[in-house]
Amino acid sequence: MLLEYYSTYRNTRKLPFVAGQSAPQRRASRGGWLLAPAMAWLFLFTIVPVAMMLVLSFWTSTAYGIKAEFTLDNYRTIFGEPVYLSTFARTLRIAAVTTALTLVVAYPVALIVSRARGGWKAIALLFIFLPFWTSYVVRSFLWLPMLGRNGLINFLLIKLGIVTRPVDWLIYNEGAVYVGLVYAYMLFMFLPIYQSLDKQDRKLEEAASDLGATPARTFWRVILPLSLPGVFSGCTMVFMFACGAYVTPQLLGGASSLMASNVIGSQFQISNNWALGSALSITLMVIVLFCFMLGSSRLGLLQVLSGSRR
Amino acid sequence: MTAARSPWAFARTVYLAAFFSFFYVPILTLFVLSFNDSPVMGFPFKTATTQWYGEAVSDGVLLRALINSVQLGLVSAAIGTALALSAAIGLRYRLPFKKGVIPLMVLPIILPGVVTGVVMLVFFGLSGVSTGLWPTTLIVHVSWVLPFAFLTLYPRIHGFDQTIEEAAMDLGARPTTVFLRIVFPLIRPAVLATFLFAFTLSFDEFVRTFFVIGSQRTVPVHLWILVTEQVAPFLPAVGVIIMLATLSVAAVGFFTMTRASAGRAPRAAQQ
Repeated sequence: MLLEYYSTYRNTRKLPFVAGQSAPQRRASRGGWLLAPAMAWLFLFTIVPVAMMLVLSFWTSTAYGIKAEFTLDNYRTIFGEPVYLSTFARTLRIAAVTTALTLVVAYPVALIVSRARGGWKAIALLFIFLPFWTSYVVRSFLWLPMLGRNGLINFLLIKLGIVTRPVDWLIYNEGAVYVGLVYAYMLFMFLPIYQSLDKQDRKLEEAASDLGATPARTFWRVILPLSLPGVFSGCTMVFMFACGAYVTPQLLGGASSLMASNVIGSQFQISNNWALGSALSITLMVIVLFCFMLGSSRLGLLQVLSGSRR
Repeated sequence: MTAARSPWAFARTVYLAAFFSFFYVPILTLFVLSFNDSPVMGFPFKTATTQWYGEAVSDGVLLRALINSVQLGLVSAAIGTALALSAAIGLRYRLPFKKGVIPLMVLPIILPGVVTGVVMLVFFGLSGVSTGLWPTTLIVHVSWVLPFAFLTLYPRIHGFDQTIEEAAMDLGARPTTVFLRIVFPLIRPAVLATFLFAFTLSFDEFVRTFFVIGSQRTVPVHLWILVTEQVAPFLPAVGVIIMLATLSVAAVGFFTMTRASAGRAPRAAQQ
């Protein structure tokens, strides 16, 4: 699935205005109306609904429906009650740790694959992409028969005589959420890093080694600095996606490791408190947009989405 | 360097083995468990059976969900690609608010899935539109695939030689003729690839769909409901079926896409 996305990544790097040039514009502006349908669609089905939710977040949900009176109570609840504050703190912590773990997992693989020879490189890339072509929900669900009481790991632990009864601490906690999230978002880290590593000029490495640098020094002083835009882009994407994770924590996390998205979902599906749910959504949206703007202020909006670019 | 090569090669092999195990052992486990003749999902493996595949498809809900997903994917990919194509062409002209176009365009990608889901639930709820496959889920899917379709199409629209168009216009062709006779034939492979890409995105979408689909099901929603409501022994079989379905949809999309990009922009296909 995401291999196509990879092509999107590569293509956006060539967008003319990304490079600060404008497309040839000698024609009159008569064709501009062609943008209107898409803009109208996004305005009507993204901007207007978000604006409605913003208004709703200042109203109150009662047993009889929504009371349309301005109040800050929902936000007071969010920032006053430990349960909501700790949910957001946990969400940010899980997103940060997931980003770090994903980086540690993906970077060496990206480096190895980018330095592999033609045929091996293609095979490795195919096998890295393949799991991401399977369904998203299946990818999260996969870890249930791995980590559960009757799962593979417990089965092996018992078979090897390490434990006598199945252990329960493998799943329904924050650790399981990390496993699931790294599994779910690895490609978003791998791709930009791989791209920035793959397009480096190998002559730089040769030059460094000719000048007497050890491989380690070449890595720290040449390879790593040149790959930082990719690292930065990958980290922004993974952090942003992890902040909004829903499926993985719902399936693999216990009650104590639910994330902001799960709490928002339950406001709408269980508690039926739309006003508070709206305020929670607006808060999460502000956090994610802030992260994205922080990321794109350094690299540019499309560069963050499109991977590294120098 | 030569002395360090063999421990480095060893470490590299171990790392890659661990990495690929992490990604493939769970998939293989699911595959193995889908044939396990045991009433509980999990180990130990007793004897092989294919009965779970029969049970997975017997009630027809999975098939219904599959039909829903395919219909939804086709319609939303068609609308999304059309909107994206129109926008990509429009963006080539001088415009007053050009700088604001891209941020608005990528907004659906940046917004967290659940936020989009509940935002649309509220929107439809307050506008009195009842949730279901049509039109609520369709609208959400079009908004979801539109940015990706745009980001895929826009570079292709700019990629080809504009002097051809200018030549046609100099020879007196009207804009509509230029588009139908010159531009569209050139970008047709890219449009097809974008359509398939959009289809795969729609086919696999879950969180946004979940909040606006009401009581109907797409394939991912069906799996989610099975997983969260009952841990049935036939779950791995459903998982394998869905995995293979999604994989084949993605593979068709990918190969069309690489062929299209190989034809249009040879340099982009290398790397």
